[in-house]
Amino acid sequence: MKRRTLLATGIGTAAAMTWSRRGWSQTKPFDGMTLRLACVNDQYSPGIKTLAERFKQESGVTILVDILGYGELQTKITTDYVGHTKGYDLATTDNVWAPQLAEAGYTVTLNDWMKHDAEEMKLDDIYPVLFPALGNYDGKQVAFPLAGYANVLAYRKDLYKAANLQPPATMQALVSAAYKLTDKSRNQYGWVANGQKGAACAQDWMQYLAEVGGVLVQDGKPTLDAAPNVKSLTTYRDLFQKAAPPGAVNWDWDGREASFRNGLAANMQTWSVGALGYFDPTQSKVTETAALMVTPTATGMKPRYGIGGWGIAINADIEDRRKEAAWAYIKWITSPEIHKALNLLNAGSFLRKSEIHDPQLNQKYPFLPVIDESFTHGDPDFRPRVPQYPQIQDILGTAVNSALVGASSPQDALSAAQTQALRYF
Amino acid sequence: MSFRLTPLQRRSIFLCLMAAPAAIHVAVFALYPILRGMGFSLFQMNLMQPWIHHFVGLRNYTDALTDPTVRRSLVVTIIFTVGCVAAELVCGLCLALLLWRDSAFNRFATTLMLVPITVTPIVVGLIFRALLDPSFGLIGYWLLQAGLAPPQGLLGDTHTALATMMGIDVWEWTPLVALILLAALKALPADILDAAEIDGAGGTRRLTRIILPMLLPSLFLVLALRFTDVFRTYDIVFAATAGGPGDSTNLLMLLAAKEGLTFFDIGYGSAISILMTLCIVLMVALLIVTLRSLDRRMNQA
Amino acid sequence: MSRRLSRPTLVAQRSAVIIALVVFLAPVLWLALTAYEPSRAIQSTPPLPWFVPGLANFVIIAQQFDLAKLTLGSAVISAGSTLLSLLLGIPCGYALARARHRGAIILAYVFLAIRGVPTVVTLIPFYLFMRQIHLLGTWWAVILMNATLSTAFVAWMMYTAFRTVPTEIEDAAIVDGCGGFGAFWRVALPLVRTSVVASALLCMMFAWNDYLNPAFLTRAETRPLSVALLTAFGGPTTSSWGTLGAMAHISTIPIILVALVLNRFLVAGLIRGVH
Repeated sequence: MKRRTLLATGIGTAAAMTWSRRGWSQTKPFDGMTLRLACVNDQYSPGIKTLAERFKQESGVTILVDILGYGELQTKITTDYVGHTKGYDLATTDNVWAPQLAEAGYTVTLNDWMKHDAEEMKLDDIYPVLFPALGNYDGKQVAFPLAGYANVLAYRKDLYKAANLQPPATMQALVSAAYKLTDKSRNQYGWVANGQKGAACAQDWMQYLAEVGGVLVQDGKPTLDAAPNVKSLTTYRDLFQKAAPPGAVNWDWDGREASFRNGLAANMQTWSVGALGYFDPTQSKVTETAALMVTPTATGMKPRYGIGGWGIAINADIEDRRKEAAWAYIKWITSPEIHKALNLLNAGSFLRKSEIHDPQLNQKYPFLPVIDESFTHGDPDFRPRVPQYPQIQDILGTAVNSALVGASSPQDALSAAQTQALRYF
Repeated sequence: MSFRLTPLQRRSIFLCLMAAPAAIHVAVFALYPILRGMGFSLFQMNLMQPWIHHFVGLRNYTDALTDPTVRRSLVVTIIFTVGCVAAELVCGLCLALLLWRDSAFNRFATTLMLVPITVTPIVVGLIFRALLDPSFGLIGYWLLQAGLAPPQGLLGDTHTALATMMGIDVWEWTPLVALILLAALKALPADILDAAEIDGAGGTRRLTRIILPMLLPSLFLVLALRFTDVFRTYDIVFAATAGGPGDSTNLLMLLAAKEGLTFFDIGYGSAISILMTLCIVLMVALLIVTLRSLDRRMNQA
Repeated sequence: MSRRLSRPTLVAQRSAVIIALVVFLAPVLWLALTAYEPSRAIQSTPPLPWFVPGLANFVIIAQQFDLAKLTLGSAVISAGSTLLSLLLGIPCGYALARARHRGAIILAYVFLAIRGVPTVVTLIPFYLFMRQIHLLGTWWAVILMNATLSTAFVAWMMYTAFRTVPTEIEDAAIVDGCGGFGAFWRVALPLVRTSVVASALLCMMFAWNDYLNPAFLTRAETRPLSVALLTAFGGPTTSSWGTLGAMAHISTIPIILVALVLNRFLVAGLIRGVH
């Protein structure tokens, strides 16, 4: 759909909504205030920026949206919190930042407000798993869920059909299908994942590891070089060397998504947020042949569907009145109508059961039932939720990449990683 | 009671006043933040855990010097720096000599040649990551087909990644070197120019005997600047390989930025950075000594 | 240069320059071309250099970004940084070149050493400092930050340049009643014009292209093009080469035009008569 048409639809919907009975049009308690939102540069950010206009009309509050890259966002808001510079009232926070934010107390703990406004916000419409997954640590909700992503398996149904294979129900089936679907002479590869050193390969491997039952942190101590982890990394490395497209070891999300959209790869585990692109003919060559399904898990394991995404947090430093205004914005942006409007603007980030079952959204996003399944049985702990997470991710980022390129064996890489990780615990 | 200053004193005061604004600016806006940053390096502090804040003296420095990752990174960074600067100097000098003559063609070419430095370094890294990709890259794919690239691509193989990165850096910054040297060449006195035209036999001797000695101050400037800047390379490498594959392109600046700005272990990150500065100072000192002896030898000849 | 080059040499030289230009321009041209490509063609396998052109990406960035404001931000930051650096650096370079005091050399090397301090050390203290003096989020913060590094650079360029200018002419001018500043302004400075132009050009480019400092020190309303460039590319799960290429047009063409204009002053430095 053309961007202009989307915009028109969004604004049309907005116009229709003004007639609905909402508290805003009567009272504008925060009229004239300006709030600053630091927003990550992800699929939903253009929508947030567009909707800021609407919030201003409805409440009189100007939202200045600063779109930043991941690294800059993290550094900038942390400096803001540490220096008490009150530069940003609101910020989108990655789900893995929650433990650190909770321990440091930089953002407002929202539990009480949520309890108070549960009815107004229709909290039971939001998938329960998103609360612990997107901004909770140790019982403290330090960020409110804003954009939920489900980890899903994108695959090529045509290739599976041609090879007489069923879409994989278990990890073992996925691995074997990956090898069977690799045919280098036809430029066809059965597997793709992030291989680039750092967060990219760490995250993709952690996802894979969780699905085969591996554990990275147990009883508050790292267990990086446990035997099952080494075995899983060995399988992962073999997949890269035999079934992945050339250059995959240096790919991050950009490269691997492109490889699927271009028909190079037959299987890819990914976040649901980018899936809209696979069905868009201006971006993808596999619009007719791509399909999504829930991620498989190892035989005999209870399904573990990875949940990721972003929350939105309020700066604990700002004055109380601004905090209330910020909370009002959060209530607004996550409300059923507005969040649906956000998704009609291509956000692809879901929160509510009402969204998942909405017919308009189902037409736009044909894979919502997969997300429903993933969210309903989602696992918020598939990545270790500890304050040392950034260090663990980075250590693994080096270890996994080093194993993938053959610079060290999986055993050596993970042993070295374990030694390094112990320093932080 | 009037107070007469000698011309010499007046001149000294005049020169001080000329240098003062720059010195003050740098003192306030550079030295002050640097000293504060150096102060951080003497503490164990983590921005995400504000309750950790105690004085540890030089422990961050000793930790950095004994960390095997830092050591490996130092070796990689030195190789990268020396290789890039050498290549940039040679290529830049050749380019400057080629563009020395004043003609419309050369003037236009000089402007066009500056295009690589008009592109943000991060974007340069992204461009080459895309172009050299063995699956999608206009260059990388065909190199792989022709057998000229390893199966994972030039940037994906531990043996070729560093050299490729160096090539990318040379691509981006040779125009800078060329421009500085070109400006110096054009400022040379006119009678030298005729005597030093490169037009075949004898040209190279004229080059080394006459032109290079006159360019020595600019050569020093270029080398000092490039050593300083290349040692601190971050954007290009981060965008292209994030320090991988393995440890092959893991430059010190990547480590420092990761420790200081991603892990928020600002004490450790600052310590690594100050160690980098010391390395740079050492390199420049070495450069000064080498060039001085070269200068002396050239003057004796 | 009065002597003409032999034809084969001229051809050889020009060919070498053309090859160099192709190497320097091709990757940037590729990026610019992605702006016209439909998304699915940009990363395709096998990659082919032809496609059906379209202007969709330009429309997208025009809608998503306030291009005029971004360009203004970049222009102010670049011009401001360059002017400030030249104002501070040129007199300083002159003083360093003419001074006979040991302190001058030390100052010069301190400037160089300051360039060698990685941003990791200075970023957060500078950020907090700017907040203290209420300049955070303004263009001034970025200009002041850029000027610290660029002043050192300009001072060194001019120090090197002034050192090659013989002092006799200036001394004569001073004796003639020019005064110290007059000797500098009317005698010495014109002789190092090429270095001034080169310094200005390079300062401008550094300021225009800097990403980290503006990203950190500006806010939504004062953002320059270099930061928006990366926003146009995308984030963790999305990336869009087409919009990056389109944005790259906006962020590269102005600077090339300015360079074209300034390059006219980079002419051969013949010693003209002294007035």
